[in-house]
Amino acid sequence: MSNTAPSVVGAKHWTVGRIARIVVMLLVAAAFILPIIGFIAMAFRSQEGVLAGTDGFLGLGGISWDNVVFSWSQINGFGPGGGGIFTRWVSNSLVIAVVGGVLALVAALPAGYALARLRFRGRKVMLFATLLAMVMPNTVLAIPLFLEVNAIGAVGELWPVAVIMGFFPFGTYLVYIHFMTTMPQELVEAARIDGLSEIATFFYVALPISKQVIALVAFFSFVANWTNFFLPLALLTSNQQNKTISIGIQELIGASPLFNATVAAGLDVKLYMPQLALATFLSMIPLLVVFLTAQRFLIRGQTVGAVKG
Amino acid sequence: MSSPKLATKRTESPATAARASTTPRRHRTRHAEARGAWILLAPYLALFLVAAAIPIGYAFWIALQKAPTLVDPTSGFGGFDSFITVITDYRFSGTFINIFSVMIVWLPLMMLGIVGLALLVHASPGRFGSSMRFIYFIPGALSGIANFVLWVYLLHPTQSPLAPLWQEVGFGSLKEIVTDGNMPVILTGMLFFQGVGTWIIVVNGGLNGIPDEIFEAAKIDGASAWDLAWHIKLPLIRPWIGYAALMNLAYGFQLFLEPYLLRQISSGAIAGEWAPTQLGYAFAFTNRNFPAAAALSIILLVITLSIGVIIVMKSGLFGDDKEEKR
Repeated sequence: MSNTAPSVVGAKHWTVGRIARIVVMLLVAAAFILPIIGFIAMAFRSQEGVLAGTDGFLGLGGISWDNVVFSWSQINGFGPGGGGIFTRWVSNSLVIAVVGGVLALVAALPAGYALARLRFRGRKVMLFATLLAMVMPNTVLAIPLFLEVNAIGAVGELWPVAVIMGFFPFGTYLVYIHFMTTMPQELVEAARIDGLSEIATFFYVALPISKQVIALVAFFSFVANWTNFFLPLALLTSNQQNKTISIGIQELIGASPLFNATVAAGLDVKLYMPQLALATFLSMIPLLVVFLTAQRFLIRGQTVGAVKG
Repeated sequence: MSSPKLATKRTESPATAARASTTPRRHRTRHAEARGAWILLAPYLALFLVAAAIPIGYAFWIALQKAPTLVDPTSGFGGFDSFITVITDYRFSGTFINIFSVMIVWLPLMMLGIVGLALLVHASPGRFGSSMRFIYFIPGALSGIANFVLWVYLLHPTQSPLAPLWQEVGFGSLKEIVTDGNMPVILTGMLFFQGVGTWIIVVNGGLNGIPDEIFEAAKIDGASAWDLAWHIKLPLIRPWIGYAALMNLAYGFQLFLEPYLLRQISSGAIAGEWAPTQLGYAFAFTNRNFPAAAALSIILLVITLSIGVIIVMKSGLFGDDKEEKR
């Protein structure tokens, strides 16, 4: 077809429209990527260089490893009794995000399978509730969750946060879509004829073909747990040792002389922009690792349909 | 049978045919199937109760209690008093006006950005399009606090790469930049930057779901790239656009992190109870008025749940039939 009609749009002509499209897309890409490059560069700069304004384009001229070493000494020196609270926050986040993610998988895999491939009364209601919970912003529930955890006297402890994060309706939805699209009903019927129970069918037939969706659910729940802010803020602020990194960084911001000279004056460490950028950059590394690990499963992104904020 | 529509659509396999012929046995398998389903659902159901149903129910119950005060430390049934406390609070309407003032700027720009960039990406086949899509997604990875610190860096009047611009406009300190009047613009920047990439991928997924024959046919009829985007692609991805708009609308009602932290970096230039969620936070943690905090949560819950119901029922993206086909 393209042989007979070479003037079709998208052929290799540099039309005005084509040039405009590419220019617009490149400009937007630059607007998205340059701030991030500048921000990462900031993590490798020194406060002196930032103040002097001599680091050149996006501060790239001022980056050095020595700056990182110094900034880390400041970040790591933050906290009561000689510091070290930063690593504690990171490990709290790891515990919560991993435990929450494992719980999400344990719950979502069988539930999504049952919703997709078994017929029972209440299936539609469960599906509807899952979709509703999935599209609802999670911050709305933070105060009710705080009241609940407060009622059992567990505010300030990590485990309620991890358990709550284990409820991940988007994961259940992903699993549901997965079995709807990749597992024919005939397979379930065949397993039944072979005498497998419903539970055994899930474990021996459905689970082995679920590698892709396991990676997806693990990835999305880990990211959601890691970046969650309001829930840890409501449940963990009262216990500094049990804070997560997302609310920990808020504490670092609060201790920066850039924004709060009074608090900062009483501290041994100085947290200026390079230190805050480095702390943020470090807090992103687990996400980066998880992203790179899960990447090959994420490319087939049709089911990414409903990532919630 | 719980979903006859689904069952009839399925291709008749020997297994189902055999099952249908022996009714008593079929009855038993049905029963076993339902029991198996509930066993498989049990962990999810438990978490659903603990993390959603019980807290919502409990919040409702708390909201109907009387708040103990210093004068009258007893609590007890208070009816809708706490709802009245919340709605008549001098800050209540202001918090909603605040988020509406942001949404008026942010939502149109967001939708324009999502749809425009998704169409541009879709009009660029091959490596260029997919690498652009990837770049647009990168800021989305910096969600939450990381995105915020990045924006502190961008907004800082002397240390930002945009510093010359800020100084040109006459901003000398963060306190001058982070003001009530600038909140819609600042929040629009933050939310757009962090959110647009994910939604481009979502809408792009919708575009990729359109069969190529439709485009081929239009091209043969002499449609330009612009005609294609405006008259063919746009109407076909309407459900996705509606979905994105409503999800972002719901998201707007629960803004918390950004205004909360903007107050912190502006030495209090922004009110502590700028957004409805912040007001709820203040009721819970400053006033220790749990009934009022619960009542405000219920109000926000009703709003976002209503939006959620519209999304699920009306967007046409979550229908059973559609999933069955995919």
